[in-house]
Amino acid sequence: MTGALRTEGLTKDYGQGRGLFDLDLEVAAGEVFGYLGPNGAGKTTTIRLLMDMIRPTRGRAEVFGVDCQAKPVEVKRLVGYMPGELPQFGGFRGREVVSYVAGLRGGVDSGRIVALAERLDLDLGRRFREYSRGNKQKLGLVLALMHEPRLLILDEPTSGLDPLNQQEFHLMVHEARDRGATIFLSSHVLSEVEQICQRVAIIRQGRLVQIARLDELHHIRYHHVEVDFAGQVPADAVRAAAGVEQVSVQGQRLTCVVRGSFSPLLTALERGEVINMVSHEPSLEETFLAYYRDDSAGMLSEAARAS
Amino acid sequence: MLRIALRAHRTGFLVGAALSFVTMFVETEGFAAAAGQTPAERAAFGAQMQALAPQVAYLIPLPIHPETLAGYVQWRGFGFVYIITCFWALMAATGAIRNEEERGLIEQWLASTVGRLRLMAARSAAFTLAAAGVVVVTALGAFAGAAAADGSLDLGAVLEVSLALLGVTVASFGAGLLAAQLVTTRRGASALGGVVLLALFFLDSLSRVNSGLEGWSRISPFHLYNRTTAVAPGGVFDLPATIALFAAAAIMTVLSAYAFAVRDIGASLVRRRRVTAAAVRTPSANPLLRLPVFSALYEQRWVLLSWAIGTMLLAAFILSLARSTADLIRSNETLRGYLQAGFGTDPNLVLLALFWFGFAAFILAAYAISQVARWAADDAEGRLEMTIAQPVSRARVVLERGFTLAAASSVIAGLGSVVVAAGAPAQDIHPETGRLLLATALLVPLALAFGGLGAAIIARWPRLAVPVLSLVAVAGYLIQQVGPLFRWPSWALDLSVFTLYGTPLTTGVFWTGFWALAAVIVVGFGIGLAAMHYRDVAS
Repeated sequence: MTGALRTEGLTKDYGQGRGLFDLDLEVAAGEVFGYLGPNGAGKTTTIRLLMDMIRPTRGRAEVFGVDCQAKPVEVKRLVGYMPGELPQFGGFRGREVVSYVAGLRGGVDSGRIVALAERLDLDLGRRFREYSRGNKQKLGLVLALMHEPRLLILDEPTSGLDPLNQQEFHLMVHEARDRGATIFLSSHVLSEVEQICQRVAIIRQGRLVQIARLDELHHIRYHHVEVDFAGQVPADAVRAAAGVEQVSVQGQRLTCVVRGSFSPLLTALERGEVINMVSHEPSLEETFLAYYRDDSAGMLSEAARAS
Repeated sequence: MLRIALRAHRTGFLVGAALSFVTMFVETEGFAAAAGQTPAERAAFGAQMQALAPQVAYLIPLPIHPETLAGYVQWRGFGFVYIITCFWALMAATGAIRNEEERGLIEQWLASTVGRLRLMAARSAAFTLAAAGVVVVTALGAFAGAAAADGSLDLGAVLEVSLALLGVTVASFGAGLLAAQLVTTRRGASALGGVVLLALFFLDSLSRVNSGLEGWSRISPFHLYNRTTAVAPGGVFDLPATIALFAAAAIMTVLSAYAFAVRDIGASLVRRRRVTAAAVRTPSANPLLRLPVFSALYEQRWVLLSWAIGTMLLAAFILSLARSTADLIRSNETLRGYLQAGFGTDPNLVLLALFWFGFAAFILAAYAISQVARWAADDAEGRLEMTIAQPVSRARVVLERGFTLAAASSVIAGLGSVVVAAGAPAQDIHPETGRLLLATALLVPLALAFGGLGAAIIARWPRLAVPVLSLVAVAGYLIQQVGPLFRWPSWALDLSVFTLYGTPLTTGVFWTGFWALAAVIVVGFGIGLAAMHYRDVAS
């Protein structure tokens, strides 16, 4: 497996337990890699270390074998980067921003810019300060993709995009992967990661807790379920069902948490007359917090190593 | 909300108070040095000032008893300090509205329980309190200067002029608030407010030499302010004019509050109908955007144009005063101190060397400081992050900043000197072309020295760079301009950074100063380069 991106003991210590600690990560060329974690977990810190915006306290990072700190200009030739938030370009129009950044990079095909703007339905004739948050995100995508980089580093790329443009973005990511590009994207939207990523790393409080293929993550997912019954509530049967936890009954309503398959719960529910049933998946952050709440650091490290 | 608003004016208050205090103290304390010690010397000085005053009446109010400390303080102190407070008021008003809108703070305030009118009232009240503080400090500067000059000022009279000073300052704040409702950016609001206030300033000053403008001048807050001359012997306190100033401030604030209440946040009160046009998908074909240095110059083209035009206008203005000021220097024993300070023997050239090139050096320093502020903003607003996310070395960023500053400074200095070269013969001034070019070219290292200092400071303390450099520039300029007049010792004059520029028009290159400037440039940008290499960006 050719490494597109590799970190060894990468650490940025801001003090008081804040930062990123001992990150060992390897992303293969051509892979779409999701980098997940709740807010403040250290996702952006990792990306800024990879982009040589900030300097590590210790450890190192490489992109296609090029050291990010020793040869940052070479690294950036290979990378298309989209920050979490685009800078203020003030009175510049979108087309001027694109030309300016293309001028810094050199050798950008104008036809590619036109194609991206068409595809994202982005009007480059408007002033940057008039852009909505979504349009700024689109411009950020154009800037990251316009030179067809070998590695795309995207920090929460779809935040602010409407669902249609999110779908378009997912297609663009697939196309980039098909032409051989590697994609490293941070997100806290699990469904998005599920759609486009092959592997994910989960980070929490600055430490890597797991690297896994998506199918390996299913065991951490759970659902909140609320069931209303017409008659007697089969609480004991539900409590006995595999994968069902935190069962509570209030009147004719039963609530519980289901991990893994729904089949045992559905079988148990046949003992009563169900008149309404609602299931919802918690946010990624809630999922992680619930899953890792009682884990010790040692167990987490073990899980990471096992993956 | 009031506490937050007061906090927002904290830096402006400190800078405004410091500048106003120093200005008043220096002008007051220096009276004895300028006017002489004996009654005869002072009478002669007063007569010369009275003779000079009509020639420059279109800029400075006519003096009343300038041979007395009180008259001199009224004329040179209170007759100048309002420019500082009104400039601060304008910047504070446009910042309170447009800068905070651009940063999203207004949206945050309004999203809480704060209403628009309450917000406007809090900002206005906070500024009025801050302005009152600055006015008090200004008055203290006058009293301190008078005490240092073994003189005294009448407390009641100073209070009366201070009240008028507060009135003109809050009226300027009101004008700034109103301008901020009409354009969508802080820069645009400052420019619009600045143009309006400048027009009102000249309406007042030109009315002193053109009686046809007298009626119109009553709408100028500066005219209303200058009607109060209470500190000068025989001067008056024009209570109706002072009340009119506060009334004007109140009316403009109410109008601004109304406009703020009815307009959309982030939009102008007057919205242009958007022309429906086909969406543009192509990148700009402008080749300048793809070239280092030129892209930066293009980005700030309108700002650069404003600086260049302003410099040219000032050059023309100072030239227009050339003859009368040169005559004054020849005739006045005290002012001959400028000649004796080593600037030369030809008063005409002294005028250009000291007043124009001294002022041009200050302009270039101010421009360099504005660029340093821009560099700090690049970092804070994420543009630096976006730049170095491209295959661009950090060293190139620092070097490009330096080259851009050098190029822009050359344009500003060059255009100013073109005006001087074109207008000087009409004033019977004939500088050598070579010396004029030399004096112009040497302004660039001075600007770069400020840039180098800025590059070094922003690497560690980005928010401190502009106040520190401004203090260095203003203090240096004051020392250079009033030092010879007040016969300060040479070591005191050498404290001015502008001393390093020398007087190349009359005395050639001041090599010690030149090498010192070169050292500051190399060390400053060197520190900037090293710091840029090692520091975190966007952390």
